[in-house]
Amino acid sequence: MMLAFVGLVLTTVALTHAQPETGSITGHVRLATRIRSPLPANVYPSRSIGRHDAPAAPEIRNVVVYLKDVVFRGALPTAKAELYQRNESFVPHVLAITRGSTVEFPNDDPFFHNVFSLSSAAKFNLGRYPRGQTRAWKFTKPGLVKVFCDIHSHMNASILVLDHPYFAIPAVDGTFELPEVPAGEYTVVGWHERVGERTASIRVEAGRPTSIDLTVPVEDAR
Amino acid sequence: MTRRPPRLLVRTLAVIFVTVALLLAAVFVVVTVTVRDQVRQSVTANLESGQRIFGAVERRRQRELQTQAATLAENPTLKAAIDTYAAEMRSGNDTQRSEWLATIANEIDKVAARIDADAVVLADATQHTMAAAGRLADRFPAGRPVAPSGSRGRQGLDGVVQTGGLFFRVVSVPIQLGEVSIGTLYVATNLDQHYAEELAALANARIAILSDGLLVASTLPQATAHQFESAVTRHPSDPTLLLDGESYAFRRLVDVGSTTFYALGSIDESSRTATQTAIGELAMIAAGATALALAASFWVARMLTEPVGQLSESLAQMSVSHDVNLRLPLTGSSRELDALTATFNQLMASVAAAEEQRQAAYMGAIRALATALDARDPYTAGHSDRVSVLSVATARALNLPDDDIEVIRLGALLHDIGKIGVPDAVLLKPGSLTNVEFDIIKQHPTAGARILRSVPFLVPHIPIVELHHERPDGRGYPHGLRGEDIPMAARIVHVADAYDAITSKRAYRGARSSGEALQELWRFAGTQFHAEVVGALATALPGVVSDAIEPAVEQAHA
Repeated sequence: MMLAFVGLVLTTVALTHAQPETGSITGHVRLATRIRSPLPANVYPSRSIGRHDAPAAPEIRNVVVYLKDVVFRGALPTAKAELYQRNESFVPHVLAITRGSTVEFPNDDPFFHNVFSLSSAAKFNLGRYPRGQTRAWKFTKPGLVKVFCDIHSHMNASILVLDHPYFAIPAVDGTFELPEVPAGEYTVVGWHERVGERTASIRVEAGRPTSIDLTVPVEDAR
Repeated sequence: MTRRPPRLLVRTLAVIFVTVALLLAAVFVVVTVTVRDQVRQSVTANLESGQRIFGAVERRRQRELQTQAATLAENPTLKAAIDTYAAEMRSGNDTQRSEWLATIANEIDKVAARIDADAVVLADATQHTMAAAGRLADRFPAGRPVAPSGSRGRQGLDGVVQTGGLFFRVVSVPIQLGEVSIGTLYVATNLDQHYAEELAALANARIAILSDGLLVASTLPQATAHQFESAVTRHPSDPTLLLDGESYAFRRLVDVGSTTFYALGSIDESSRTATQTAIGELAMIAAGATALALAASFWVARMLTEPVGQLSESLAQMSVSHDVNLRLPLTGSSRELDALTATFNQLMASVAAAEEQRQAAYMGAIRALATALDARDPYTAGHSDRVSVLSVATARALNLPDDDIEVIRLGALLHDIGKIGVPDAVLLKPGSLTNVEFDIIKQHPTAGARILRSVPFLVPHIPIVELHHERPDGRGYPHGLRGEDIPMAARIVHVADAYDAITSKRAYRGARSSGEALQELWRFAGTQFHAEVVGALATALPGVVSDAIEPAVEQAHA
């Protein structure tokens, strides 16, 4: 939440300087129950060890809304984001950043963690390190980066690296806002790691907000 | 012709033997029937316990496989590779596809190396094969859907997969990433002959595995297995089936989807061995029992027959020897036989007493007869008694047996019985006899023999009476026998008769002394008299100063 807020603030600042002819996109993302896979997902109990009573982030926070195939002119704003390792999981589970941003991976658990990725956008292994330490990685290629821990096989996170700043993670109630979008025709994407992209077309006019509703067929755990 | 009755021994043996044989036959029948019944029960019980054990062991085995697979599925690299691969594919980015697949294949190979299975198969979230490893990995080509039939338990899937012409028992575990299943790991065991044999060892029975009614594997002979295949479809609820001429009990061990595991036990085969064992043991017992029975019956029979035989032998001996004084010994074998023997002995004792009385009566009668005979002639009064006493003494001196002595005693008493037929005119004639008269006298031994012949009791004494005037030189009468042809008893009585005649007073001369008599006898020894008998008489004479002689001598002197 805080990260998203930071991201949005940064984006707003950048847009104010570069493009005066902008409008904003506001909308709402709804999670719909998708069709079940042939195998039940939970034949095994979660194999994570430790505190399961920690409140899990709502599923809606794992959705990223962004504009597809946008060419951003000018210097892409970068940010320093943080992906905590906390209660044997990555928090947040989904992170969206601009290309060139650096992500820190602080270890908040009282035991060792590891961070590695096999994704084509970023292949790295930050090694194992104890509580209180952190490692950072700068993401220089756009794309989806899946992050894992080689000690705790159930830990995973997705980092969506984008070539432009027009993205947002919806609030808990599903609402989002993409401010200062140049006027034009766009394809809005609601992305979720398990379903991929769900798209909708939108026309943004300068100086006024445009509204859109997106439906992502993901089971809401709550 | 009458058949002789069988011997007691044979009869006893036969009775005991037949009894034992009947007993054994009855036991044999009972054992055979019982054994078969028990075998049927035990085969069924064995199958039941096999079913229980198998069920427990199999459940445990599947659970262990599943646990093992689940543990091995918790592989960060494997999960990362699968998830990354899936994410990249969704993004349409397959430039590094082979790299991820190689990572996945490598991890699956490692899993396969650590688990005892014919194949380890990784399926993606849509149940299509991504990678396979293990001995029979080639039956699970990549991209094909894995479609197991079976039940999904709490722990996961326990099912059967048919692929590439083979049947596999599979357990599966989902590969979870957080709360999301990103794939499935299958651990497959081929349902082949080897598997069936393992089950058979476990269940201690024959095993047949049928999938949708078709034979997959079995430890039965091939023909029997195919009969079972069709029979179990037609009569699934029968407790036993007749396969290839043998009776089988069978049970469903477990159902996995449409695949069923059966345990079978041949009742006939088991009962054959059991019966054989029982009969073998029975035969040993029977042999022992028969030997024992034979020995026992032989002993019992001998106990009965031996004393009886002994008794009858004694009786036979007794009847041959006419000896009423023999007594049978007590056998001590049984109270009854001893009572019989004792009674017999008492009977014999009374018979002997009666015989003795009879003898005494005879003796009395004969003595009376002899005395009466002697009394015809005053000169020969007491002659027969004296000759008898002398003869007995002489016979003793010659060491003759007691039986012979008794014959001599009576024979000597009767030796002149034939003179009963000699007229007084001849017998009592004081002067010398004419030839005719002497011929009459010479007939008295033959006449005496004739008299005795009519009394069976006196037959042994005939030679003495008939031959007591025969001489060793053959000039005696009535037959003129010579030397050794004359019986000893007759010789003795001849000498004793002569001695008494010489020492007796006659009408024509006085009595002569013993010494003169012996002189006279010695003079004619070898011609008229046998020398050894004369010698014996001489030896015996001093001891015969008995009343039997002295009165006669005194009378003769008076």
